[in-house]
Amino acid sequence: MADSSSASYIHMVHHMIEKCLIFNMSKEECVEALYKHANITPVITSTVWKELEKENKEFFKAYEERQSKQEQMSEEETNQLIQKIISDSSKESDD
Amino acid sequence: MIASMESQEFLGTSCGFTINPEEDFPEFGDLLDIIDFDDLLGVAGDVLPDLEMDPEILARDFSDHMKASSAITSEKTDSQGETKNKGISGRGKEVVSKRDHNETPVVETVVNYNGDSDCKRKHSSSGSTKNKNNEGKRKVKKVDWTPELHRRFVEAVDQLGLEKAVPSRILELMGVHCLTRHNVASHLQKYRSHQKHLLAREAEAVNWTRKRPIYGLDSTGANINGRNKNGWLAPTPTIGFPPPPPTAVASPPVHHHHFRPLHVWGHPTVNQSVIPHVFPKHLPPPFWVSDTPYWPRIHNGTAPYLPTLATGFRALPVAGIPQAMPPHHTVYKPDHGYGGSRSLVDLHPSKESVDAAIGDVLTRPWLPLPLGLKPPAVDGVMTELHRHGVSEVPPTAPCA
Repeated sequence: MADSSSASYIHMVHHMIEKCLIFNMSKEECVEALYKHANITPVITSTVWKELEKENKEFFKAYEERQSKQEQMSEEETNQLIQKIISDSSKESDD
Repeated sequence: MIASMESQEFLGTSCGFTINPEEDFPEFGDLLDIIDFDDLLGVAGDVLPDLEMDPEILARDFSDHMKASSAITSEKTDSQGETKNKGISGRGKEVVSKRDHNETPVVETVVNYNGDSDCKRKHSSSGSTKNKNNEGKRKVKKVDWTPELHRRFVEAVDQLGLEKAVPSRILELMGVHCLTRHNVASHLQKYRSHQKHLLAREAEAVNWTRKRPIYGLDSTGANINGRNKNGWLAPTPTIGFPPPPPTAVASPPVHHHHFRPLHVWGHPTVNQSVIPHVFPKHLPPPFWVSDTPYWPRIHNGTAPYLPTLATGFRALPVAGIPQAMPPHHTVYKPDHGYGGSRSLVDLHPSKESVDAAIGDVLTRPWLPLPLGLKPPAVDGVMTELHRHGVSEVPPTAPCA
């Protein structure tokens, strides 16, 4: 097995995963994206992801947290926003 | 010894204490190494090349240092300008020079600074000669430009105006004692060239947006300013809530982008909390990472920050700019954020953006990693893959 080509392949997958992370994608989304767009075997993506996770535990921990937070937060924010708008518009109509 | 003599004289005049070579340095061959550049340069920090400095600590430590060093100075002058190198006679407290000396057999002991507080310089405890490299080979110490430090720098520059921003004034405004003018000057140079770079990109971007009106977006002033100030290093989340939706919802597609820009890259805190963590400092990564989150948000028909990519010309090779970030337009997904399925602030990237990003890696693998995470252990990956029945990487068999 050619080690250097494996290594560079893995590096490439790593790179792609990072791109997905910037998109805030989950692992599954990432696996799918890499498969769809670059024909990377899902098992490879997922393995590289796991290994990345091992090496960068803190990052991924924060990432996970953020992911779950976003689900809630975003709804809250939406609600708040809507509330604000409603109150704003009702203020206007009071004038 | 001539050089040494000169140095000594220089030392003598500039720092207020004298060194008597015969008395004090009988053994020292190379006085250059002994010269305390800190005193020379009048800075408390930047001593060691691998210094990582937090400006707050620096400011704090500097004052500690000043107290300590004035103590030393008085000691020195007391003992007739014996320098700290001579850890001898009649001194209760032996002062160590702030860096090690290669050749000296003289014992150096650590002065009782408050726990080595001064700008994190590392004191050797006993004449060890390990730090050869900071002996005067580098008069300018490497500064670690933390986001905080850079922010102050940018503030100072902004106050002065880019034209008038001279290192000395910037230094004053920043009020960080541990920087030398040289540090500031080189940082300024980089900053200026970066700004030019940005402007060039923006100018291009404006042209693109002119041609693609549907992607015109409003940008808030905050974004632009945020970009200016923070675009270089870790950005602060200047993106707040989008402008009130009702008008946006009712209006033509243009306005939809208000929401898009908010979270193309996910929660703004990503940029702050996540990226600084993972960024290895030796890379110039913030350049890439921090730029990108703002790209999609900051463009409109007239705003300057639109990157070329943003209008969908993602194949366009803009020199020097990693097309790391997907084009903005591709992020636009009308079904998101309005259907109510997901909130306004967490929008999935469109397929095109993802495709572009991934394609980028395929076509330009030399580009730096956008996040710079620690790479996985190749062996670990291979072992794991073997377990799953994958024997070849890259697999030659068709993707299952």
